[in-house]
Amino acid sequence: MESLIIEETKYTPKISMDAASGVIEMSGKSYPENTFDFYAPVMKWLEDYFTTTNKIVINMEIIYFNSSSSKLFFDFFDLCDEKRDTHDIEINWIYDADNENAEEAGEDFIEDFEFLRINLVVKK
Amino acid sequence: MKRMGSLESVLQNDGVIFLTYGGLLTQALLVALTESLEKGVEGDAVNKKTAINIFTVFIEVAQNIMNYSSQKQNDNAVPFDTRGLIVVGKGLDDKYYVFSQNVMAIADQDKLETKLTEVIGCDRETVKRLYREARRDGRHSHSRGGGIGMYEIAKKCEQIEFEFDQSDKTIEGNTLFRFKATIA
Repeated sequence: MESLIIEETKYTPKISMDAASGVIEMSGKSYPENTFDFYAPVMKWLEDYFTTTNKIVINMEIIYFNSSSSKLFFDFFDLCDEKRDTHDIEINWIYDADNENAEEAGEDFIEDFEFLRINLVVKK
Repeated sequence: MKRMGSLESVLQNDGVIFLTYGGLLTQALLVALTESLEKGVEGDAVNKKTAINIFTVFIEVAQNIMNYSSQKQNDNAVPFDTRGLIVVGKGLDDKYYVFSQNVMAIADQDKLETKLTEVIGCDRETVKRLYREARRDGRHSHSRGGGIGMYEIAKKCEQIEFEFDQSDKTIEGNTLFRFKATIA
């Protein structure tokens, strides 16, 4: 399976989905106009990847995002949640120490997905 | 509800304006405006939490206005001047605000008014809970934002005011919607 790399823009994060290592990274801001179209390849890649492997690490460092991105990330974690019994999935939600919004967003996801392994990681 | 008044009164009453835009909003413009807002707000020595609240409320409000205009195109309805207008500033009370004004279909007024009235009547904890419920319930639905945009705004601000104004006869069949979100 091929890796998926999407370069960062001013309003969409850098996305790197590495097929060899199983490491998925998203970092930057997220407020596209058509969020679901933008992330469609990402969701598709994850679904396909789950059929080829059972170990995934997801590192997410999103500075701020619009409400449709929030919904999209929820769906993304939901997809992980459906595979949690058969796959080893670890999610690192990374944020700057002074970014309370990002911290709170991470806490909400932890509460929403109590059976997923989501770690809050503070960047020094 | 008290009248929010004209744009002129908003501008005159309040202290600092970071950004004013009137006209058709596009994503490319929104990105440029957000970038300029980031510079302006960060230069104002505001803490990061407040800064991010301002950016996210601004983006949410702007994308709402964009959705109204694209809806118009999709429905092949009679084109109207969307009169999109957005202002970000800091009032004399030192609180930041996002003000917007746009033309929308009267048919959409009830739905929006109901949502806004609900949100305004809720305390912050309730808004957070409703936001998460809406995000969860809209699972697998690919509607724009799953209807959580207004909860997102409410989570990030202290006060929301709005009004519908049909006094302008040049927008027959439509209504002018004014909205102001005051952030801490």
